[in-house]
Amino acid sequence: MVSDILRVRVSELAARFNGEVEENLGELELTVDGRYILEALTDAKNFADVPCDFLHDLCGMDLGDYLEVVYQLSSLRGPQRLRIIARVERDNPAINSVTQIWKGSDFLEREAFDMFGLQFRGHPNLKRIYMWDDFEGYPMRKDYVIESHEQRAVMRVRKEGE
Amino acid sequence: MDVKREMELRDAEAMEEKNILLTSIEKFLNWGRVHSFWPNSFGLACCAIEMASTGNPRYDLSRFGYEVFQASPRQADLMIVAGTLTRKMAPVARRIYDQMPDPKWAIAMGNCACSGGPFADSYAVVPGADSIIPIDVYIPGCPPRPESLIFGMLQLKQKIQNPAKARLINYGK
Repeated sequence: MVSDILRVRVSELAARFNGEVEENLGELELTVDGRYILEALTDAKNFADVPCDFLHDLCGMDLGDYLEVVYQLSSLRGPQRLRIIARVERDNPAINSVTQIWKGSDFLEREAFDMFGLQFRGHPNLKRIYMWDDFEGYPMRKDYVIESHEQRAVMRVRKEGE
Repeated sequence: MDVKREMELRDAEAMEEKNILLTSIEKFLNWGRVHSFWPNSFGLACCAIEMASTGNPRYDLSRFGYEVFQASPRQADLMIVAGTLTRKMAPVARRIYDQMPDPKWAIAMGNCACSGGPFADSYAVVPGADSIIPIDVYIPGCPPRPESLIFGMLQLKQKIQNPAKARLINYGK
C-alpha cells in the first residue's frame, strides 16, 4: 500500500527533476537521470511526514543500452518504501556517490563498481570488493564473456598484502 | 584361508604372548597415522556446517580418532576442502596446503570442491579443487551428509593402509 502523502511527495520530486513515476510490486518507482541523483536522494531523505531516510540497498543493473543504479529506500520511522532508479550512460557510467548522505553506502557502491564498472564520483575508497584487484572486466555486465574452463583452473598469483 | 597364512598368524599369535609384534616400519607408521588424522578445519562454504556436525556427538567422529580439528595447518596432516573454492581463495588454499607437514592428504568434500558443482560456469569459481591441490578422496553431495564424510575418511584410511592397492586402482601397476 502506497500512502497518498508519499505519492504526492514523489510526484513533486519527479516534476522537479523531469522523472517518471510508476508503481511496481507495491512500491513507487521514480526514474531520474543520473545527474540529479544526489539532489533527488537528499530530497527523498528529507520528505516531510514520510522521510525515506534509510538506504536499504543499492545495486547496479545492465539494461543493454544503458546502465541503472537502483536505490531501495525505506525508513525506520514508518512503513514508507521508495525505489529510485538513476540512469547512466553505458560508455561513461559515472554518477555521484551517495556516501556523503549515507555512510553505509560505501560497500554497496564498491560492489556495484566491482560488478558493473559504475564510477562513483566522490567515493572515498573506490576499489574492487569481491573480485581480486587484477581481475579484468565487470562480470555482471551483459557483454562479459566468461573465461574458459582451462583458464579458470589455473591458479592466479597472489599479491603480497592483498 | 590357506595353510601357510594360518601358520604365519599362529606364529604371530605366539609372539604376541611374548609381547613381540613383527611388521615393517612403514606399515607401523601408517597404522598410527590412519587412526589419528588431524584434519585442518578448512571450511569454505555450507559444507563446513556438515563438517562441524560430523565432529559433534551425534555422529561422533572421535570414535575413529579423527576429531582433532586444527585451526593451524602446521599441526594438521589432512586438509578437508569443504565448500566452494573461489579463484580469489585458491592461492591461499594452496599456501595452507604447502604449510602442512608431510605426510599429508586432502579430501574434496562436496560437489563444489570436486568439480565446481553448480558454480562450474561461474567467473569466480575454480572448477574443481584438484587443479590447485592434489586430492586423495572425492566426496560428492550438496552438501554430503556427515555419514558420507566419515565414509570418505575411512576410504582414505583404506588407501593409506593399502598403498599397493590404491596404486593398482589408479595406475594399473
